[in-house]
Amino acid sequence: MSAPASAEATRLLPRWLLVTVTTVLVVMVLIPVLYIVLASLNSDVGVASGEYWPSSFSLDSYTRIWTTADLSTGIVNSLIVCAFTAVASALLGTTTAYVLVRYSFLGRLTILRGLVGLQSIPGTLMLLPVFVLFSSAGNYLGLTVIGTRWGLFVAYLTFALPFSTWVMVTYLRGLPRELEEAARTEGANTVIILWKIIFPLSLPAIVVSGIFAFLLGWNDVLFASVLTRPETHTAAVALQIFGSQQEGGALPVYSQMMAAALICAAPVVLLYLAFQRYLVGGLTAGGVK
Amino acid sequence: MTTLVRPPEKAASKKEQRRRGVTERQRPLWLLTPGGVLMILVVLIPLAVALWISLIDLDQYSLRRWVEAPFIGLDNFVESFSSGLLNSIWISVSFAVLSTIATIPIGIAAALVTQNKYKGRALVRAVFLIPYVLPSFVVATVWRTMLQPDGVVNAWLSKVGIEGGLWLTGPRSYWALILVEIWAAWPFIYLMALAALQSVDNEVHEASAVDGAPWWPKLRRVILPYLRGPVLLACLLATLNHINNFTLPFVLFGAPAPEDVNVMPMLVYVTSFQSLRFGLSAAMAVLSLVLIAIPLFVYLRAVRLDVHDEGGRR
Repeated sequence: MSAPASAEATRLLPRWLLVTVTTVLVVMVLIPVLYIVLASLNSDVGVASGEYWPSSFSLDSYTRIWTTADLSTGIVNSLIVCAFTAVASALLGTTTAYVLVRYSFLGRLTILRGLVGLQSIPGTLMLLPVFVLFSSAGNYLGLTVIGTRWGLFVAYLTFALPFSTWVMVTYLRGLPRELEEAARTEGANTVIILWKIIFPLSLPAIVVSGIFAFLLGWNDVLFASVLTRPETHTAAVALQIFGSQQEGGALPVYSQMMAAALICAAPVVLLYLAFQRYLVGGLTAGGVK
Repeated sequence: MTTLVRPPEKAASKKEQRRRGVTERQRPLWLLTPGGVLMILVVLIPLAVALWISLIDLDQYSLRRWVEAPFIGLDNFVESFSSGLLNSIWISVSFAVLSTIATIPIGIAAALVTQNKYKGRALVRAVFLIPYVLPSFVVATVWRTMLQPDGVVNAWLSKVGIEGGLWLTGPRSYWALILVEIWAAWPFIYLMALAALQSVDNEVHEASAVDGAPWWPKLRRVILPYLRGPVLLACLLATLNHINNFTLPFVLFGAPAPEDVNVMPMLVYVTSFQSLRFGLSAAMAVLSLVLIAIPLFVYLRAVRLDVHDEGGRR
């Protein structure tokens, strides 16, 4: 990226300080992270008595957790709901963002501001009316919505759709318009341009906005804790309920809980490892987790 | 962030005219329909309904027939002030501000140490991202386990001769919440600061290197000014995220939360889904929106202001 001389020039900190700060930060991050791994390999008794380093290692927790907690149902539900959320918000978001970026019309700026603003609306404020509308749907429309996966999917769109749209807006702004104009002079209409040019060109960004929508759903506890029943619990809610049952009474199965936490984190970590470069860029563009 | 601070009007102002000439008459605004209709259905209508609910007396009995629930004007808003709203606002704001302030130096320091290339830097950067990548509910579950009365934190504290005590109830729960939030949230400031650092020109570094300035004055006078704008923006966003954080207190302490960590989202959640006072909690949620509106307004303004700086900065 630059000559050795200028690499020396960009050195901001003296070596000792660099090493100290890096070490402190890495240790600070790794202590709890290693704790999850170590505790999940420990015995339930060991974790409950406050051990950091297990006195004996075993993979028991990983086999027993599937019967102790209803984690598999949760993971399947999460995967289904979040996948639908991801596809719907990425595709609709791209179409909407394309028009917002390429054409000017009355109210366009308001919509753009709204997209940014919506990401800061407290989830509780959105959940409340969604819950009221969903529970009265049985009465007014004869539909059962609460406790269904598609109800949760609709609820997730309330935050995933504005977010994906905004991610696509920030991407499409930087896309040169020459190709589209060339296609237009060849007589292509907007749908063809969108399908043949915009979608293929912005595929990485579409994937990123979809992954973000997926993660928003996967990480959600608020909506899922209210809008699901035991058969439709998501992984997050399954873990949260499992965790809250541990205190008081019999022996808490903390080791299994850590194994469950690690299993719930695994898909997210894998997605980041696979798409790290794109996702980090998207994080700073969207500005929201 | 750089993409965020560049508005389309300015970036494309020359092309704007040409574009107007070519496509003004054939704007395919109908393409907005699917996304727009869905957005109205799932965002605007619920928001309007939330406003309406805050004005009616809605509880578990009237829930299924909410259209017929009695209109009571501003009574819910008046009642929220006697239901612990002010206390929760204070906890939320102080928690958010303290968390943000604490994460700034950590984030900037992390950005400074990963700016230069060295062997193993990619690994360090990946480690720095871990707290951010882990889902909130996982982070909260882990810390909840570590902070148990017989947990690993107290076991360590007693080894160095400190009495552990309770972290998840009582006055200490507030500090537990802040500590965990700091642990989980500092990489956001780090990412923003790193992006800003990388946009500093090489000439700037070289010029100050020729000066032979020692590291601290160079850092303070030359480099840190570049970080000010982006980090301030990141702080606004981080504060908003702290205020809205529901998952962390909910999973860490459970609902209802201990008095000392009864942040706004928890108060609204418990009032609606445990006390089943939907009207009252809607009023609280609307009032908390006012709380959000202040930093959000500043943020929306600041995003645009930063654009004007971009051309003529230093």
